[in-house]
Amino acid sequence: MSLVAQFLTSIRGFVLEQNGEELRNWLLVENDVANIYFDMASELKASFPENSQALEKLVEKCLPEEDDVPEGKGSPWPGFNSFVKDYLEYWRDVDFEDLVRLHARLSSLVLSCANALANPTYGVMLLPTSMSLSESLSKLVMGLNRQPQLLAEIEGDVAGDEGGERKSIVELAADIIQKIFTSCLTDRSSTRWSPPKGKKVAVYLFANLTLKLLFACDKSRLAVQMFTNLSTSGPALSLYPASQRVTFLYYLGRFNFDTGHYPRAEMCLAEAYRQCPPAFQKHRRQILTYWIPANLLLGRFPSWTLLQRPEAAGFADIFLPICAAVRSGNFVAFHQALNQNRDWLWDRGFYLTLLYRLKPLVWRSFTRKIFLITWQGSASTGSESSGSKTNPSSSAAAAEGTKAAVLSLEDVVTCAEYVQKLLEGYMPTKSPSNHHHNPHKANPLLLRAIANNATHSPAAHAPWQLIPPPGRQPKRLMPSEGLIFGNRRPDLENIEVVVAGLVYQGLLNGFVARQQKRFAVEGAKRKGGNAVAAGWPPPYEALTERFREAWQEAVEACDEGGGYEGAEPPGEMDEVPGSPWIWRSPGWAVFLSSLDRTAVMAGP
Amino acid sequence: MASQKKDDKPTAESKPEAPATEQQRKPASLEEDDEFEDFPVEGLFSPFRHWDQEETEAGAGAGDATQHLWEESWDDDDTSDDFSTQLKEELKKVEAARKR
Repeated sequence: MSLVAQFLTSIRGFVLEQNGEELRNWLLVENDVANIYFDMASELKASFPENSQALEKLVEKCLPEEDDVPEGKGSPWPGFNSFVKDYLEYWRDVDFEDLVRLHARLSSLVLSCANALANPTYGVMLLPTSMSLSESLSKLVMGLNRQPQLLAEIEGDVAGDEGGERKSIVELAADIIQKIFTSCLTDRSSTRWSPPKGKKVAVYLFANLTLKLLFACDKSRLAVQMFTNLSTSGPALSLYPASQRVTFLYYLGRFNFDTGHYPRAEMCLAEAYRQCPPAFQKHRRQILTYWIPANLLLGRFPSWTLLQRPEAAGFADIFLPICAAVRSGNFVAFHQALNQNRDWLWDRGFYLTLLYRLKPLVWRSFTRKIFLITWQGSASTGSESSGSKTNPSSSAAAAEGTKAAVLSLEDVVTCAEYVQKLLEGYMPTKSPSNHHHNPHKANPLLLRAIANNATHSPAAHAPWQLIPPPGRQPKRLMPSEGLIFGNRRPDLENIEVVVAGLVYQGLLNGFVARQQKRFAVEGAKRKGGNAVAAGWPPPYEALTERFREAWQEAVEACDEGGGYEGAEPPGEMDEVPGSPWIWRSPGWAVFLSSLDRTAVMAGP
Repeated sequence: MASQKKDDKPTAESKPEAPATEQQRKPASLEEDDEFEDFPVEGLFSPFRHWDQEETEAGAGAGDATQHLWEESWDDDDTSDDFSTQLKEELKKVEAARKR
């Protein structure tokens, strides 16, 4: 009996027993297999040339469809035989050196497996095989994705066939794996809310495999369809094993992060972290890598407790300078903090997000600081000795008396102009005898040293001076590097826009009085006269409240809309297409928290 | 008879082969450091053999452990730092210039 025939006989045995694990153990596709697979490949080459029907006939002969299948037993089916024929052809033609050809062969084999899996009666026994083949394909594609030359060759061949529509190999592979995912999702052996049976047990396994592939290849946006399918008919995540939940929540969190839904990203990543045991330090570190930025964007900083955990090693150096800059409203320090670890932040897609999205928080602290040093009201928490009547303070506030909680926008312009100069390379220094030497000719390094040392020298009480940059030429700034836009000098109009924007975001509580050129704080009485607390509410509360409002508005608009029964609500929160437990009601938070209690299925 | 013998061969050789493949998959050079690795759990298709709730922070005191991980009130009321002083002096200077 030939090797091929023996192989098929064994396969038949496993099918009759519905032994999916053994099918997977036998239907191997990678090159690290026992020699007998290569022996079989030689035999296939010798005895079953292309274009001959012999192989198909042998498969039919060795894997006949059973007429009378006893309960609990299985039978080969046409889709399975077709897959097995493809499998043998794969081994006949495979050349592991030729990655382009390998990719084509493996892709069509996985597709063939997906078709066989679709059989509602016996398909389920191919689940483990589908998983292992999909993993192999995914691994191959991730590898190819890093070899541009081969990639171009394959994409020229494969994607060009699609009549104008060019798909990347990542997308093509994801499509194939998603076909298996869909097969699992639509399995009717169990409902959405009951423990999964049949192919449904593998829904999140294939979802996670697809996500892994897409994220590894920077194609996370292609996951939209899958998330949409899950949100429409996906089984409850809480019914699945912990490792699958954590992995899925991690990717869903990253997806929400990538699409700008930070509250949801935060919730998903928080759950992933909480459900991932400390022993899995590398996994927790990966989760933290995204969880920390998600929190920063919501106005929450990592505590020392968190940063001292082993999985957070090194994160303090990256994130603490950013937090310190935001806290102090210091734009120069903010840019420095981001640039200090630019590569790390850039590689993970954080750099621009943090640069643009944290800026409002820097502005918030900046305006708060100016209010603290200019306002002469009773609840000033400023600790400076000059916080009394001799304060430089603004004309506006001074004229108003000591109680009205207002911030002069002209003062903000003054401070903004100063900061813009710092960004353009002017250097603050203390020079007690500046008329004795020309600062423009001074060595900037020396000046910097003087400035750094200022607090310990007799110059400590000297006024600050701005030393122009070398050549007296302001540094040319990129649009993002300037306070407003590159080298544009901040003016009243810009500042009004910024302040109004902060009010809109809920980061400032009050209104802009344009005529008076002021920002007037509201609700100081409610805060016991503390105008600072009233005008600058805690950012985390403000930002999450803003997201909640937007969501609520969207839900109401949708419910009142009529004629849109079942339509997803529009608006901010709706753009997260994929969370199966987050529904069209603000109760989603409750649902998520109930996940904690019910989710983790302790094993018997 | 011969078939019996040969039939055994793939079984014998591929059985130990399977776990070896699994192991090789994990640290594969294809995977970057940054990747979220597969959890080394047993029985991918048997849903109840992973970890217990007690091993996680979600289980241990339901949330207590994660409560002190974030700072929500981080405002800085100190206005004696260099940056604040510079702003104060700048405001004073501009104010004085306006009065002149």
